[in-house]
Amino acid sequence: MNISIKQLFGRKPKSSNIAKQRLKLVITQDRLNVDDRFMTRLHHELAEVLAKYFEFSVNSVQMSLKQEGNSYVLVADIPYKKLHDLNARQ
Amino acid sequence: MGKVIVVTSGKGGVGKTTSTANLGTALALLGKTVVVVDADVGLRNLDIVMGLESRIVYTSMDVIEKQCELGKALVKDRRVDGLTLLAASQKNNKDDIQPEQMKAICDKLKASHDFVLIDSPAGIERGFINASAGADEAIIVTTPDVSAIRDADRIIGLLQHAGIEPINLVLNRFSPQLVGNGSMMDQEDVLDILNIDLIGIVPEDTGVITSTNRGIPLVYEDASPGSQAYMRIARRLTGQRIPIPDLEQKGFLSNIVNWFTRNR
Repeated sequence: MNISIKQLFGRKPKSSNIAKQRLKLVITQDRLNVDDRFMTRLHHELAEVLAKYFEFSVNSVQMSLKQEGNSYVLVADIPYKKLHDLNARQ
Repeated sequence: MGKVIVVTSGKGGVGKTTSTANLGTALALLGKTVVVVDADVGLRNLDIVMGLESRIVYTSMDVIEKQCELGKALVKDRRVDGLTLLAASQKNNKDDIQPEQMKAICDKLKASHDFVLIDSPAGIERGFINASAGADEAIIVTTPDVSAIRDADRIIGLLQHAGIEPINLVLNRFSPQLVGNGSMMDQEDVLDILNIDLIGIVPEDTGVITSTNRGIPLVYEDASPGSQAYMRIARRLTGQRIPIPDLEQKGFLSNIVNWFTRNR
């Protein structure tokens, strides 16, 4: 559950939290020397592979790089409708 | 043998010069011998912020060109013992000085002073490279906003690559009220992003404006919150262990909400 009590009582998410989240994302990209083009390419190529196994909408895929301690993590959120029946194809 | 500390930020206007002037003065008030060096060749300001602008005769450029001895170029601050300023040339530009020349000046200065504070220009180019060439340690000044913090992160990467450490953070122009209502990132947010040690938080203080107008660093006025913050940072630089006070002003309701929502 992503909705906190703070957000329930407050009308909008605090701008300081938004600033922090935006900064974390952009600084991770700065540090890794990764730009939007890289992320778009990764997004498309991963989607191509995933399409072999899942039925999903390409636009619903969310991908981001995060820093956790001293290491970096690629986080992908891929809501899919169903698995393709791989056996049926063979 | 003293140490050379470069005061830098990446972004302009976050308080590098004000911090250099106040920390230099504060260290001298604590009995240390200090030189503050303006490394912003062509756009010097440390002299006017400190109120010493009418007394500059020689600059670091004259020392490099062997027009005068290093000791003769140091302008003595008459208000406190042990504090001098080495001004930057206003008629040259950053490319006229080589990093090795800057390092040679720093090495000589630290042999005879406890602290050498270098006021770095904004940016990541030649001016910054010159300013950090002779540095043993660094102080990053940032304000709690996205552009200053992003630039600070870039500078931290460059300093780490150059092997300069420790790198300590001064969080400047901090507003407890804005943090309290969620409109400004607090120290935990900033440290979580930048991942370096915090050496002090300087609250927003209108006294900075009037003290700069007069050319009298804030630390001469004991009562001001900004002055007290700079004095605490200076003490920490001398090795004293002084806890960083929690400047956040939390209301009763905000405390309850925070209690329910912590760890989320």
